[in-house]
Amino acid sequence: MSVIVLVEHTEGNIKKKSFEAVQYAAHIAQQTGTTATAVVLGSIADAEMEALGNYGAKKVVHIADDRFNELHARAYTSALIKVAQAGESKIIVTLYDINGRAVAPRVAVQLKAGIVAGALSYPDIDNGFVIKKAVFSGKAFAFVNVVSDKKVIMLMPNTFPLVKTDGKASIEKLDISFTEKDFGIKVTAVNKVVGEIPLSDATLVVSGGRGMKGPENWGLIENLAKELGAATACSRPVADAHWRPHHEHVGQTGGTVRPDLYIAVGISGAIQHLAGVNGSKTIVVINTDPEAPFFKAANYGVVGDAMTVLPRLTEAVKKFKQHK
Amino acid sequence: MNITGSVNAIKGGEFLVRETEADSIFIPEEWNEEQLMIAETCTNFLAQHVTPNLTRIDEQEEGLMPHLMEEAGALGLLGISIPEEYGGFGKDFTTSMLVTEKLGAGNSFSVAFSAHTGIGTLPILYYGNAEQKQKYIPKLASGEWKGAYCLTEPGAGSDANSGKARAKLSADGKHYLITGQKMWITNAGFADIFTVFAKIDDDENLSAFIVEKNFEGLSLNPEEHKMGIKGSSTRQVFFNDCKVPVENLLSERQNGFKIAVNILNLGRIKLGGGTVGASKEVITMAVRYANEREQFGRAISKYGAIRHKLAQQAIRTYGSESAIYRASQNMEEATEQFVASGMDEIKAKLKGTEQFAIEAALIKVHASETLDYVVDEGVQIYGGMGYSAEAPMDRAYRDSRINRIFEGTNEINRMLMVDMMLKRALKGELDLMGPAQAVAGELTSIPDFAAAEEEGLFSKEKKYIKGFKKAILMVAGAAVQKLMTQLGKEQEVLMCLADMLMELYVSESTQLRVEKLVGMRGEEACKEQLDIMRVYINDAAENILKSGKEAINSFADGDEKRMMLMGLKRFTKTEDINTIQARRNIAAKLITENKYCF
Amino acid sequence: MKILVCISQVPDTTTKIILNPNATAINKEGTTYVINPYDEWYALIRAIELKESGIATEIHLITVGKAEVEPIIRKALSLGGDEAIRIDAESIDPYQTAAYIADYAKSVGYDLVLCGKESIDYNNGTTGVILAEMLDLDYIGFATSIKIEGNSAIVNREIEGGEETDSCKLPVVIACQKGVAEARIPNMRGIMAARTRPLKVVTPSAVSPLTEILSYELPLAKSGVKMVSPDNMDELVELLHSEAKVI
Repeated sequence: MSVIVLVEHTEGNIKKKSFEAVQYAAHIAQQTGTTATAVVLGSIADAEMEALGNYGAKKVVHIADDRFNELHARAYTSALIKVAQAGESKIIVTLYDINGRAVAPRVAVQLKAGIVAGALSYPDIDNGFVIKKAVFSGKAFAFVNVVSDKKVIMLMPNTFPLVKTDGKASIEKLDISFTEKDFGIKVTAVNKVVGEIPLSDATLVVSGGRGMKGPENWGLIENLAKELGAATACSRPVADAHWRPHHEHVGQTGGTVRPDLYIAVGISGAIQHLAGVNGSKTIVVINTDPEAPFFKAANYGVVGDAMTVLPRLTEAVKKFKQHK
Repeated sequence: MNITGSVNAIKGGEFLVRETEADSIFIPEEWNEEQLMIAETCTNFLAQHVTPNLTRIDEQEEGLMPHLMEEAGALGLLGISIPEEYGGFGKDFTTSMLVTEKLGAGNSFSVAFSAHTGIGTLPILYYGNAEQKQKYIPKLASGEWKGAYCLTEPGAGSDANSGKARAKLSADGKHYLITGQKMWITNAGFADIFTVFAKIDDDENLSAFIVEKNFEGLSLNPEEHKMGIKGSSTRQVFFNDCKVPVENLLSERQNGFKIAVNILNLGRIKLGGGTVGASKEVITMAVRYANEREQFGRAISKYGAIRHKLAQQAIRTYGSESAIYRASQNMEEATEQFVASGMDEIKAKLKGTEQFAIEAALIKVHASETLDYVVDEGVQIYGGMGYSAEAPMDRAYRDSRINRIFEGTNEINRMLMVDMMLKRALKGELDLMGPAQAVAGELTSIPDFAAAEEEGLFSKEKKYIKGFKKAILMVAGAAVQKLMTQLGKEQEVLMCLADMLMELYVSESTQLRVEKLVGMRGEEACKEQLDIMRVYINDAAENILKSGKEAINSFADGDEKRMMLMGLKRFTKTEDINTIQARRNIAAKLITENKYCF
Repeated sequence: MKILVCISQVPDTTTKIILNPNATAINKEGTTYVINPYDEWYALIRAIELKESGIATEIHLITVGKAEVEPIIRKALSLGGDEAIRIDAESIDPYQTAAYIADYAKSVGYDLVLCGKESIDYNNGTTGVILAEMLDLDYIGFATSIKIEGNSAIVNREIEGGEETDSCKLPVVIACQKGVAEARIPNMRGIMAARTRPLKVVTPSAVSPLTEILSYELPLAKSGVKMVSPDNMDELVELLHSEAKVI
C-alpha cells in the first residue's frame, strides 16, 4: 500500500527536487497510514540512494539497468507499474517536470488513476483527495479532487522547503524484463548545457530584457548570476533578437521558472512574461521606467539604469558573501 | 411633419425627413464569424508587423513600407472588395470597411494602405476597361504593385478642377504627353502605378490617366517633412512630357473630375472607418495607462476627471462607428438595388456610393474630429508622458491631424453636405419643402401638450430626434428663404447647418444601433450602451441648439427671430439627465475591461 | 501520411480571471477564446508545413467541446487542415478528453498525432501522453523541431538541462513547443476556405472522468513593492537575506 515516488538523478547525483518529491510522498504516506517507497532507475551508487532515507523514504527500489540513464518513458512506466503492483500501491508521486510529465500520465492510464499535474499542496483527505494546483498560467489556483481509487500526483518543484532528518531507508535491488516497445525511441544525440544551472531547476534566476540594450551588455547579468550562483534567463524579445539562446526565454511561450528569487533587469513585465515567472517566491525588478508594469508584481524594485545598478548589486553580493 | 411611410429603401440624405426602423440598419455587433476572422487577421497583422516597427516606419527605412504592403497583400488584405476574377475576394462594402477600421490603428501604415486600396486602386477598378483592369488590378490586389493618385497641385487643392496639368496627344497619336506638377502624393516614393489627373488640351474638365512609374518623363521630389504620418511617403510628382500610351486614358476624356469626386465619396467614408479604428486603439492605450499610472496612491482611472475623459472618448467613437456602419450598409443595399434593376455592377457601386455622399461627407468630418478629440485627451490622460516623444500618444496626436485636412478638408465637406442636401431638394430628389413647411406651420400653432406620451425604452430619444429634424428643417428652410442664392456665400451659416446635420445623423444612428442591440442582447446587457446613447443625444441637443441659434441670429430679426428661437428651444428640449453618473458608468466598464469594449 | 492535430479552446492570455460568487467556476462572460497557442502556433503549423512540403497527405483537426467551440475550429481550418472533428462533449478532465480522442483516432488510424506541450488554461500537459498510452504509441514531449524521414520522426526535444535528438518509428504522438514552427496569420484565402471544409460532429461513448475541480482561488495580491534606491544595493542584498530569506 506504500506511496511510490519516482526519483531522478543526473549521472548518479540525486536532484534536489527529487528529495522534495520523496519528502512529499513521505508526508502523504503518513497522512494515509503507510510508508514511502522511492524508485531509482539507472546507474547510481547505494551511498547516494541512502540519502533518500533522510527525506522520509523507508524503502528504495533500485533497478540498475543502465538504459535508464536516458529517459525512456515507457520503460520508466513499466518499472513504476511493477513496483506499484508488487506493493499494491494506490498513490504514485513524480515531479511536474519534463521527466515526470512523460511518465506519470502513462502510469495513470495503466492504473486508471486520476492525475494532479503540478501539485502545490498536500492532499486534503478529509474532503476527498483534494490538491491545489496553479491554472491559467498562475492567474488562479484550482482545487482538484481525484475521484478514482488510485491517484497519480506530479509535484511542482520548489514548493516545499527540504527538511533533512536522520531517517534511514533500506535498498532493494530489482530486475525486471522489458519489451522492445519500452525502448522504442532511439536517442541519437544529446546536447546538455554543461556547467550551467538548468533554468527549470534554478532557485535563483537573473533575467534580462530589452532594457539591457544589446548582447554586449550580458556580461553584467552573467557576473551577477555567477556571484549569486544563479541561472540566467531572458525575455521573449531578447530571444527573438538572438541576443540570447532560446532555451533561456521564460514566459508564456518559453519556459516556466519557480525560483526563490527572480531578478528581472530591463524587463517591462508584459502579462506573457509574468505567466512564466509568477510562481517565483521573491521578485526583484530593476528598470529605468518607474511605470513599468513589472513593479506591480515585484517584492523589491529599483528604478535605475541596469548598466550602473548591476555592477553595484554584484559588488554588494560579493561583499555580503565575504562577511558571512 | 410629413414623414412618409414608404416601403422604398431609404435614399441618401433622407434621414432628415424620414424615420428609420432600428431593424433596418446594420450594426457592428452583427459581424458574422468570417468577418470576425478577417478582423482578427488585420489586428494580428498590425500587432506582428506594424506596431513593433512604428519607429522604423516613421524613419522611412528603405523598403520597409513596400514590404509591409506586400505582406498585407499576401494575406489578401489589399483585395478584400476586388472581384475574384481580378485576384481579389469579392467581399461586400461593409467587410472592406471593417478591414479599413481594423487597419486604421496602424498609423502611417494605415495611410499607405488606404491610399493604395482606395485612390490607388479603385479608379482603375471602377473606370478601367477590361484590358486595363486585367493588366493592373491583380498586381495591385496582391501588393506586387503599389498605387498612388495624383490630383492635388500646388495651386489646386480643394478646387481640384482648376489644376494646371495638361496632356496633349503626340504627333504620331500613340501617346499623351503629360506636363505638370502634383503635390502631396501619398505612396509616391514606392508607387508603381499613378492615377494622374490632367486636362487634355483646353478641355473644361479633367481626364484621368494610368501612369507607370517607369514611363519616360516622370520624376519625384524628395520626401516632404510632415507634422505626422511621417512614415507615409509623401512627395511631389513631376510630369515633363511624360509619355503615356493612349490606351492608358482612364474612362472617357473629360471624365476625370467625375472619377475624382466619386472616388472621394468612397474615400471619405473609408477615412471615417480608419479613424474609428485609430480612436479605439488610442482609447485602449489611454484606459490601460490610466489603470496603471498611480498618483496620490491610486490609479488615475479612479479619478472622476480622468473617467470623464475616457467616457467622452468612447461616447464619440461609438457615435461615429454607429453612423459609419449604418451608411456603409445603406450604400451596399443601394448598390444591390441598382444591380437588381439591371445596372452593371461597378456602375451600381458608384451610384450606390454617390447616393450616400452626404452621409459620407458627414462621417468623414465627425470621425476625424472624434479622433482628434480622442488623441488630444489621450495626451492629457498620459500627462507628462503624453508630451514625451518616447510614449505612443505623441505619434497618435501628430498622426491624427491630417485626417481633418485630406480627402477634402472638413470645411469643404461641411459645405458639401449642405450643398448636396439643398441641390437634391431643388432637383426634387428629396422632399425637404413639404416637411419644412409643416415645421413652419407648427411654429405658429399651439403645441399639443395633451398628446399622449409614448411609453418605451427609446420613446424619449426618438422624440428628441424628431425634434432635431424639425430644428434643422426650420433653420435650413428659413436660411434658404432669407438668403436665397446668397446662402452659398454665408459659409458660417453653412457650417452651423452642417454641424446640426452631423449631430442629428450620429444621434439617430446611435439610438437605432442601441435599440437593435437591446433587441439582440436584452436591456441588462446594454446598460452602458444606453448611457452612451443618452449622453450623446443630450449633448447633441445642446450643440444643435447652439448652432441653430447662431445661424438664426445671423439672418433673422424681430418677431420672426423670436418665434424661431422659441421653436428651436422647443425642438431641442430634452429632459435633464445625470450625465456625470452616466459617464461614470461608461468609464467603469472601460476600466474593468481595460480596453475599448463597446 | 495522415496527421491528426489536437486543438483546444482556451481563454486568451490577457483575459482577466474572474470567479463566480462561490468560486466553483470561472466567470466566462466577456472572455475571448483562442486556440491554445501551443496547438496553433506549433502543432498545427508544423502539420501544415509537412503537407505543403508533400510529406503529409491529409490533416485532420480534432477537439472536444460543445458547439460553442466551433469558431476556434474554423479559425484553425482557416490556417489549414482538410477536415475537422468535434467530439460533442463537455470534457471534465484530461483523461476523458484523451479517451474521446483515442477512440476516434483508432477508428481512422493516423501516422502522426501532434498536440501542444500543454494548454494555457489548466496547464496540465497530460492529454497527449495519456492519448499515446491509450493508442499504445510512443510519445515525445517538449519537441522543438520535427522532421519526417521515411517511416521515422526525427525530433529535437528539450530534456532536463539541454536538448536531445530522438528517432522514432511512426506512428507517434508529439507534443510541440517553441521552435517547431512559426506562428502564421490566417489569410483571406484560408478564411474563405474554412467554411467549405468539413466539420464532423461525433457523439462519443461515455467515459467517466477521474478528477474534478471543486473550486478556484485567486492569488493574493502582492503586498506592494518595496523600492530601494539604486545607490544602495547593500540594502537590497540585506533585504533579500534577512527579510525575503532567499540568499
